[in-house]
Amino acid sequence: MIAQLLLTMLLFGTLLYSWIEYRRAPLIGLLSMLAALTGLYFVWVPAHATWLAAFVGIGRGVDLLIYLWVAISLIILLNLHLKLRAQMEVITVLARKLAMANAESAATPK
Amino acid sequence: MQPNKHIWVVIPAYNEASVIARVIADVRRHECPVVVVDDASTDATATVAERAGAMVVRHPVNLGQGAALQTGLEMALEGGADIIVTFDADGQHRATDIDRLVDALARHGADYALGSRFLGHTINLPPSRRLLLKAAAWFTRLTSGLTLTDTHNGLRAMTRRGASAIRLRQNRMAHASEILSQIAASGLPYVEVPVTIEYSAYSLAKGQKLGDALAILIDLSAGRLHR
Repeated sequence: MIAQLLLTMLLFGTLLYSWIEYRRAPLIGLLSMLAALTGLYFVWVPAHATWLAAFVGIGRGVDLLIYLWVAISLIILLNLHLKLRAQMEVITVLARKLAMANAESAATPK
Repeated sequence: MQPNKHIWVVIPAYNEASVIARVIADVRRHECPVVVVDDASTDATATVAERAGAMVVRHPVNLGQGAALQTGLEMALEGGADIIVTFDADGQHRATDIDRLVDALARHGADYALGSRFLGHTINLPPSRRLLLKAAAWFTRLTSGLTLTDTHNGLRAMTRRGASAIRLRQNRMAHASEILSQIAASGLPYVEVPVTIEYSAYSLAKGQKLGDALAILIDLSAGRLHR
């Protein structure tokens, strides 16, 4: 029961994160939301996790949950990569404005 | 050339000190403003370009060719350009093709004149590079719907309206595909124009490699995943 509560808290945290990210990166938000909801379902209905695990050839339901967690981690990693790209775009705009301001103050077209 | 039109030439450059002066001298024969966007070169590109008579915009940090191109477009637009020509710094383009591109804009009523080495001529083009460029043209047809023979040619001309519709977010190599997607999205008319590309050992060493194609695909995919 303690493990179930802990996992539920973690997955609710992921769900909240997905909701926030959805506005900026809809695909990432949807994927992580789907993974978190599936995780929540399996945490509270482990029999279904065991059945699905056996069906897809994983073995145990708990392994399926671990795989799901790995999938969530990878999605979040991808999201971090996208955030870095967004940061780079901001830096680019700043660097461009600075470069243009310097050039304009230095010269007129020859 | 179109009379009474304010034509600007934009040249993105990174560590091109050994060739940039000759490129600028060729382009300046057209008596139009030349903007060299120095992408934080570690050599004397900026100094050499300035001495050769170009207006130099210097990025404080290295951002990539796509970012340099966008800076050049914005600089030319701010300067009041009616037509903007983009030109590579490595000496593989011919300044005489600028006239063809600019004339094609007026003749076809187009907003973009895109240089094509496959409608024109190539000198010393390696077979592997030809294959890569053909694959890129096929990929562009699939993703943007544009039917072009040459999709990674840095020699282009665009009207003020055309340049205003371009906002490059891909800082590095994927900008060539992004610019075509934005041309397609703008709905503005475009035309391909035969040009000559002459490869030298120098330009081949600086050009894109087969492995870069994967990086471009990743960049393009990542660019579509966020707003």
